[in-house]
Amino acid sequence: MSQIHLEGVSKVYRVGDQEIHALKKIDLRIEEGEFVSIIGPSGSGKSTLMHLLGCLDKPTTGRMEICGNDLSRASKNELAVVRNKEIGFVFQAFNLLPKLDVVSNIELPLIYSGMPAAQRRVRARQVACDVGLGERLSNRPAQLSGGQCQRVAIARALVNNPRILFGDEPTGNLDSATGQMILEIFDSLHAAGKTIVLVTHDPKIAARSRRVIEICDGLIKREYVP
Amino acid sequence: MNLFIAVSIGLREIASHKFRTFLSMLGIVLGVSSLIATMALTRGMEDGMRTFMQQMGGLELVSIVNKEPAGRKFEFANLSPGRTLRDAYILRESATLLTHISPEISFNTVVATSMGGNPERRSVRGIYPDHFVVNMHEVAAGRFLTPLDIEYGSRCVVIGNTVANQLWPELSPDRVIGEKMLIDAKPFEVVGVLTRYEREDEARARKAGMRALKRNWDPFRVKNETVLVPFPTMFHEFRSGAFPLDSMDSIKLETLTVRVGDLDFFRAALDQIRSLLDITHRDIDDFDLETREDWFDRVERSVRASRWSGGLISAMSLIVGGIGIMNIMLASISERIREIGIRLAVGARPRDIFLQILIEAILVSFIGALVGIAASLGLIEILKMISPTENVPVLSFEGILFSVAFAIVAGLISGIYPALKAARLDPIAALRYE
Repeated sequence: MSQIHLEGVSKVYRVGDQEIHALKKIDLRIEEGEFVSIIGPSGSGKSTLMHLLGCLDKPTTGRMEICGNDLSRASKNELAVVRNKEIGFVFQAFNLLPKLDVVSNIELPLIYSGMPAAQRRVRARQVACDVGLGERLSNRPAQLSGGQCQRVAIARALVNNPRILFGDEPTGNLDSATGQMILEIFDSLHAAGKTIVLVTHDPKIAARSRRVIEICDGLIKREYVP
Repeated sequence: MNLFIAVSIGLREIASHKFRTFLSMLGIVLGVSSLIATMALTRGMEDGMRTFMQQMGGLELVSIVNKEPAGRKFEFANLSPGRTLRDAYILRESATLLTHISPEISFNTVVATSMGGNPERRSVRGIYPDHFVVNMHEVAAGRFLTPLDIEYGSRCVVIGNTVANQLWPELSPDRVIGEKMLIDAKPFEVVGVLTRYEREDEARARKAGMRALKRNWDPFRVKNETVLVPFPTMFHEFRSGAFPLDSMDSIKLETLTVRVGDLDFFRAALDQIRSLLDITHRDIDDFDLETREDWFDRVERSVRASRWSGGLISAMSLIVGGIGIMNIMLASISERIREIGIRLAVGARPRDIFLQILIEAILVSFIGALVGIAASLGLIEILKMISPTENVPVLSFEGILFSVAFAIVAGLISGIYPALKAARLDPIAALRYE
C-alpha cells in the first residue's frame, strides 16, 4: 500500500463560463520514506497537485488515498484532520501568525489536535530546539530573519510528528546560503524516515531529491531519478 | 480544540483591538444597562405601590358601599334600612373573621378656634376607635379617641395635621393639645393631633428645605384634613334623637369600613359580611363590598405594561448591539483571512474556525454585558436621585441574569453568520489572500 496513491485524478476549475483543466487524469504513487520533487513551469498544475496531495483540496474526479485514508469523498472537516495528523506543510511565504511568538506558532497544530496545554508547550519547545531556535522562543516572526522564519515553519510542520512533509518552494524567499541550510534540514528529515515532497521550479533543488516528477499542462510529462 | 483555547484566542483578539471592540459593544452596553435599569425601576414602582397601598390601609380593608338593588328586587328596596349602625353592631358581634369595624357619620360644618378665629369648612366625622386602626392613623401628639370617649359621648376631638396648622399656625402639635376649638359653634377639646402624612418625596424635599414637585393628586389630603369626634357625641350634638338603643336602625352610616384579620381567609370573610348584611338588609342586595384587590390588579397591570415597554426598547437596543457585533466580526474576519487560511492549513477544522469566531462574538457581547452591568449601577444611582423614594429602583439579581443572558444570545446570533462565513473559506484562496 503506497502512502500516497492517486488514480485518474483530475481537477477542473470553473472561472466564469470557462473550465480550466488544471490536472488531467493523473496516476501517481509515492511510497513511505521517498524524497520526491515536483517541477514544472508556472501554470503547469504543480501547485494544484501539491494542494491535492496536501489535502487542502479535493479532486474533481478520480481516487485519492493518503496514508490509507480515501479522501475522494471526504468532508472538509475530515480533510482537516488528515492535514493535522499526517501532513506537515512548509510554504514559500512562511505563513506564520505575526501576533504569536515562536512557541505559540509552533504549537498551533497541537491546539487543533487537542493536546493538553502543558504537554503542548513542552513539545513545541523541544521541536523548536531541534531546528535550532532554542534562543528565540519568545520572539515574534517580525523579529526573525527569513531563515529563522522558515525554521519556525518547519518546526510547526513537524510538531505533530506527521508522516509526510510538503515544501512549496521552501527556499523561494531565501538567499542561496540560507536556502541550503533549509534544504539540509529536509535532507536530514528524509534520512530520519519522513516522506518528503518538494514543489519547485529550480532543477538544482530538484536534483537533491531521489525522484523528480515533471508536470506540464496538467499531465505528468516524465519522471526521472536525478 | 477546546473551549478554553477558543476563549483565550478570542480574548487576545479582543485585546489587540480594544477601541474597535469597545465601539462595537456599545450597543450591548446600552441595551444591558437600560434593561437592568428598567427592571429595577419597575420593581421599584411595584414596591412603591405596595407600600403606598399599605399606608392607605392595605389589602385587608373592605368598604361596604351602597348599591342600586338589582331589577327584580327594586320594588322592595324600601324594605331595607340601608347601611345603619346595626350593620356595624351585627358585624362586630358575629363576623369572626373581621378584626375592626369602623362605622362613620359625617357632617360638613365650620371649625374655628375657641375665639372663632381662622374659620374653615371641614368635614367632621363621628367615629369609633377602630377608625384609627382601619385608616392606619398615627398621633403626632396627644391620644386617639377611646372607648370611654364613646361611652360618655365626651366633647373630644382628634384633628389632622393640616387642620391643626390652619387653626393654630404658630403652635406645634403638642401645644395644640388641650386647646378648645369650635365645631359648628360648639366647644370641643383637642385631645390628639395626627401625624403629618406625606409622600416620601415631599418629606425629603421638606427636610432639604425645598418644595416638592407639585402633583395634582395628593392621596393623603383627606387624612390630613380630618376632624374626628366620638360617634355618639356627633350624633347627640349635630343630629336629633336619642342614642343609641332606640335608633340603631335609623342611624344611616356615611361609610362602613372593616378590616379582615387574615388575608388567607379573605374570601370567607367577604362571605361572612355578605350573609350577615343580608339579614339586616332583609335580603335586599343594596350593598356592595369594595376591596383593594381590583385596584391592586390595575396597578400590577400598569406596572407590567411599563416593564414590557421598557424591556422592549432595551431588547431593541440589544438587537442593534448584536448587529454592531456582527458588523465588527465581519470586518475582523476579512482582516484575518490569511490567518484563518494558515489555521486551516495546519489542521484546524472548519468547525474549529466556526467555534472560534462564534466565541469571539459571544465574548464581545459578554464583556459588553459586564460593562453594561457596571453602567446600570451608575444609572440606577441617578434614577434613585430623581425618582420618588417610595419608587426607589430595586436592583434584582434576576434582572441582571436575564439581561446578561439576553446579551449573550444576541452575541451568539450575531456571531453565527460571520462564523459560517469564516468556516467556509477555502484554505488555498485564504492562504493566497493578501
